[in-house]
Amino acid sequence: MNRFFITMPELKAIIVSNISPRLKRAARKANPFDKTEKSKELYHHDSFKRVQELDGGFFEKFGTLLREQAAEDTKEVHEDSKEKGEEETASEEETEETPPDQGDIISNALLNIEELYSEILFETLHIIGSDASIIEEQDTLFAYLQEAFKVDQERHTVMLEAAKEKEAPNILLNVEVVEGKELSPKDANVENTPDDVLCLEVWDFDPAETVREKMTKIGDVKGVKGLTKLMKEIAVTASTGKHDNEFIGTATVPLKSIPAAGQTLWCNLEKKSKVKRQGLVKVKVSFSSEKNSHVAAQEHRHLLRILLLHELEQNKTEAFEWKGEFCVPAATLVRQHLAQSGLGPTDDALAQWVEFATVHTSHPLSFHLFADLVRKLVQPINSGLLSDEEIKLFWDGAKKLLPSCFNSIKKLRKLIPGEKSTSLHLQSLLTILAELSKVQQTENLDLFPSSVYGWITSKDSPNDIRSALTDAITQSAVDWFQHVVDHNKPTDDSDEARLKHLIKVLQVVRTDLQRAIDFHDKLFGQIMLFPYSRTLYIIYDNKVSEMTEPVVTDLCMSLKPIKYNEYDEPIQNDSNDSTLLAIGTTLFELYLVLQRFAVLAKGLCPADLEGLHAQQFHTWYHRGVAQWLDIAVYKAMKRIAKAVDLDELQPVDANVQYSASPIDTLAIFNQIKVFWQQLAWPDVEGSYTFVAKIMDDVCINCVYYADIMSKKVDNMGETETVYEKKFEVTNEWCYAINNIDYVRLSIKSFMNDLGVDEIIKQLADFRSPNAAEHCRVTLQLLIDNAIDTVRNKILDLLEVVAVKMTPSISRFLVEGAELLNQENNSVDRLMQYLEESLCTLSSQLNPENFDRILSIIWTKLAQIMYNLVESSLEKRRPPSFFANLHEMLKILTGFFRPDNGAAPPSLGANSEVLAKIEQLLMLHGMDTWQLIQQCHLERLNEQQQLTAAPLGMLTVRMQFVHDLLRIEIMNARNIRPMDDNGSCDPYVKVHLVPEEKFTGITRPRTKTHKKTLFPLFDEIFSIQLSREQREMKDAMVHFLIKDQDFLGMSSDFVAEAYFPFSGIPATTMETRLDEMTQIHLKLSKPSRMDSPAIKALDHRQGEKLAKDFIKKQRSKAGSKASITNGNH
Amino acid sequence: MASHALGGPRPGNRNVLLKIVILGDGGVGKSCLMNRYVNNQFNDNSFHTIGVEFLNKDVKINDETYTMQIWDTAGQERFKSLRTPFYRGTDICMLTFAVDDRTSFKNLTMWKNEFLHYANIKDASTFPFIVVASKADIGADKRVVTESEIKCWCEVNDNIPYIETSSKDAINVETAFALGVDSWKRLEEAFDKTNNYVADTVNLSRLAQRNSSKCCSN
Ligand SMILES: Nc1nc2c(ncn2[C@@H]2O[C@H](COP(=O)(O)OP(=O)(O)OP(=O)(O)O)[C@@H](O)[C@H]2O)c(=O)[nH]1
Ligand SMILES: [Mg+2]
Repeated sequence: MNRFFITMPELKAIIVSNISPRLKRAARKANPFDKTEKSKELYHHDSFKRVQELDGGFFEKFGTLLREQAAEDTKEVHEDSKEKGEEETASEEETEETPPDQGDIISNALLNIEELYSEILFETLHIIGSDASIIEEQDTLFAYLQEAFKVDQERHTVMLEAAKEKEAPNILLNVEVVEGKELSPKDANVENTPDDVLCLEVWDFDPAETVREKMTKIGDVKGVKGLTKLMKEIAVTASTGKHDNEFIGTATVPLKSIPAAGQTLWCNLEKKSKVKRQGLVKVKVSFSSEKNSHVAAQEHRHLLRILLLHELEQNKTEAFEWKGEFCVPAATLVRQHLAQSGLGPTDDALAQWVEFATVHTSHPLSFHLFADLVRKLVQPINSGLLSDEEIKLFWDGAKKLLPSCFNSIKKLRKLIPGEKSTSLHLQSLLTILAELSKVQQTENLDLFPSSVYGWITSKDSPNDIRSALTDAITQSAVDWFQHVVDHNKPTDDSDEARLKHLIKVLQVVRTDLQRAIDFHDKLFGQIMLFPYSRTLYIIYDNKVSEMTEPVVTDLCMSLKPIKYNEYDEPIQNDSNDSTLLAIGTTLFELYLVLQRFAVLAKGLCPADLEGLHAQQFHTWYHRGVAQWLDIAVYKAMKRIAKAVDLDELQPVDANVQYSASPIDTLAIFNQIKVFWQQLAWPDVEGSYTFVAKIMDDVCINCVYYADIMSKKVDNMGETETVYEKKFEVTNEWCYAINNIDYVRLSIKSFMNDLGVDEIIKQLADFRSPNAAEHCRVTLQLLIDNAIDTVRNKILDLLEVVAVKMTPSISRFLVEGAELLNQENNSVDRLMQYLEESLCTLSSQLNPENFDRILSIIWTKLAQIMYNLVESSLEKRRPPSFFANLHEMLKILTGFFRPDNGAAPPSLGANSEVLAKIEQLLMLHGMDTWQLIQQCHLERLNEQQQLTAAPLGMLTVRMQFVHDLLRIEIMNARNIRPMDDNGSCDPYVKVHLVPEEKFTGITRPRTKTHKKTLFPLFDEIFSIQLSREQREMKDAMVHFLIKDQDFLGMSSDFVAEAYFPFSGIPATTMETRLDEMTQIHLKLSKPSRMDSPAIKALDHRQGEKLAKDFIKKQRSKAGSKASITNGNH
Repeated sequence: MASHALGGPRPGNRNVLLKIVILGDGGVGKSCLMNRYVNNQFNDNSFHTIGVEFLNKDVKINDETYTMQIWDTAGQERFKSLRTPFYRGTDICMLTFAVDDRTSFKNLTMWKNEFLHYANIKDASTFPFIVVASKADIGADKRVVTESEIKCWCEVNDNIPYIETSSKDAINVETAFALGVDSWKRLEEAFDKTNNYVADTVNLSRLAQRNSSKCCSN
């Protein structure tokens, strides 16, 4: 023990100086990314370091926790060795419990010390057994005795002389023949022929008795007085023995060779006549005397005490060191006293037990010694071999020893764990306890008097050693815990210091448990069947929870929430930053420590988990985790902002097309994930909910990233000169888009890494598959939402790009349309602009996003074109302008059409718009005659769409004979009445359209038929056309039915019908017209004045031709019809 | 407008996003309300919600399309610290109780305060709350909370709109949510009006924030 005390401070110093560089190294390694999968990538740029500097490494601290966990064991040992040092200073103040009735050892002994002294002198004069051979050293023994007994020379001489006067003592030699082997068939007997020699004669007794039995009988022969008498006795025995027995042989043992303590040995049997060995006999020999055994035992105890005290004094033996080894003279004296007093080993053991226990109270001896002694005594006591008085002595000894035993067990923590001496020490202690508990207790045995054992709490089984052990261990654990708490007092009364204090205490406690498990548990279990670490754990669990829970819950509750302004943005101020950060980190350091503590229980006391408080440690943290996640969102936003700010929008390496900030952003998310994983949240419902929260938060952060990334590029690529404002699609734009996409694409795997599947599985087991399914849907929805929202952000950004391109595109288009056929390169410039932009986009964006933006640009283009057409119409641009635009549209369509000739990219709803634009451009690009013809074509189309004929029918027959057009107008039916009297005077007029191509041709007409709605015309006309006219595309016959007014001066339009040249059969000369099939034409009139062609014509009001046509059409249509495009 | 016809192809929609939380004691019928609203289903033996559940629904109210993000919370006390983190950023809060459960009615104040605290809302009078009295289908004999009591509570609490619903019989469920949106819109417009005079950009940024800080759905 003392050795331990002396060496500890040195040891501590060594350890400390050894570990400090390692700790420093650990601190330097605080960068969390060196172990993440992406570490390589992440180290590509420095900016992240700058990003993390922003908040003092908020996330890293949590990352570091994990790392420290790995190195934790070493670390904790360090902390503990420090702990040890503190503990020692404290232990010096501790006062040993004073055992009772000590101090009068010597005075007690003094009562008979002279008597004893002279007895020992006397014994020394008559040394027996093997010790007699050292008779020359008698003087040494005397000197030693004199010194040990502290007797002055004069007195010594007197007493020695007196002893010499006394008659030599009677010493008995007990001989027990234990067994024989290789015997010739003769029995054995004992004889002592020469002086000082034990002579065994082996005789063959009655063969009916076994040799073995006989030999045992002989062994019983006792009462031989003195060596000479012994010889005679044996002679008597031999002479009165049965002479018919046959003599086998003799064995001789010199008495001087027998040790004073006795001996068991094998002897050779010899016969004088024979050379051959007659066999072997095992003999047990020991001395005894006729002394009063009670007195002898008392003397022996006194002797032991005096010698031991002298021994300890001489050798300055350290406490707990003496293991029962006397120096040679003392050992001889003890041995001689035992032999000459006829004391047996049990007597010796008891005497030692009693005396050593007494000495132990003032000078602790090795427990190993006691363990040996108690082991020797249990059997004899329980077999009833000891007298009541001896048993009382035994228990008295035990009562003296036990306080020290328990004390030592309580101080187990002060020994160096794992060292051989420690485990031997503990082993001895436990053996003493175990052996003692085997001994039958006497009545009224107050083994643990309350004056000594104040700490014993269990009063039900007053003398139970095991429950005393429980109490001792409990007491020591409680004391030690308090000691740890007191000696690691928080440095100040801040929350941070309180937390650090708790962490420290928990770490020390855990180390203690670990030690108990590693080094002590086995011994406690094997020797005492005592669950040592489990007992400790339950105590610590209680203490730790009692101390930690209120602090943690209080702190979690009082963590100030992040302050948000009215726009839901975190307010950037100091209070948001500093306090939360520090406490948050330490709070979770404590969490991890608690977690490790709680986990220990699973191995140590699986049956008690229910009742252990610390198993619920995570519930103390509910509010705290929620708060942390809130803080994390806030921190993440700040970091993301910084990351985007620092992002130079250059690819992180040559193989990728995104820059640094998305990696930074994902690293931040990763930190949140690591934090979550570290928590290893033990309850599944909480896990689910927190994961949902994390997903929602990550979603918010992704959107935030997309927003500020978009903002960052917003003014890029714009150049402004006095002449023009120009926007160019730059690589930066593409990287911004790719960055957001990179983040988006990582969402799913990030979310999955949160362990969603496992959570759902556990929920199904824990609650129900149905409930788990609900939760799964929620989580899935959150992931989908995040991905969709970010995708929308990308689309927004793509749209922004397209929108930014529109001014340039519009300008080029307008310029191009105005000047197309003059010396002008606007179209080329437009194409070049588009080509450059698209080139950049296609080389930098992924195909999916490129397709998207292509489609958006195309949509924008259509929109620009449409707006341009609309505004140009308003400005009444000339047809050539529209024609030019139309040309350009065709070129553009070609440009956007993929090489394989498929439709332009995902036009979707646009195709309709595009068709509309094309039509508008086509119409407005036409000259007026063409437009009028277009109107006729529209009318034909309308006519063909008619299902009924509300204005009647016209029947004709037509044929082409070469370039001759022959028309037979047969009849009309159901024409509409024009007069008030409900009748009509109809005739038919034939026009050929397009009119300006048939200017030379007369327009035939029929006769007027009076007052009929069913006129029978039956007139045939032949019109000679040029070849050119005959083959003209879209040429039509235009039949107009008119109502002749009664004066024959004017006529009103009744109805009309068209028939295209292309439908008229070409025949030979020989074919007659009446062989042709009759054509029934549905009659109609212009009904809508908002057809595209009419509207286009309407834009040309300044032109007489157009104006007249419109007027005519309107009058045909009647008063109700008007052009509905709002220009009128 | 022509540009309207030119809306590009969109994977997601661009509706106004509204985050709604449903609060109230365990068992008052919050989950049933959400399920009736979103899936038009009613489940008689529903289980207590764990933490939170989340569903989306696109609805057209007064010609405007909204994407409602509905967070259904667990009313049981033991979930308190798990549900409160979700309150922040909420646009509309439904305070729910069951008409056959007086305690749940009494707890409305507690719920309102819990919400205000964790959603970090300073002025309760400008926040769109809705009081939903659920299980209105139960017989008059079982009903223990009277209409006048409810109205009284609502009046005292800045005139929170109030509606009685039955998820079981599908009564007033859509109306309840529409009422929430109405209330939100009214307060939003009032907010814009008061702030228009201060600075125009504020509103823009606020709206931008609103639409960007939350997820939208398909
Ligand atoms: N009669 C009637 N019963 C209802 C109605 N709505 C819900 N319930 C019943 O009320 C019980 C609880 O409903 P839930 O929707 O699970 O309650 P909750 O508010 O979500 O409860 P927590 O999730 O624990 O907060 C279920 O047994 C439903 O059948 C209703 O409108 N009428
Ligand atoms: Mg529920």
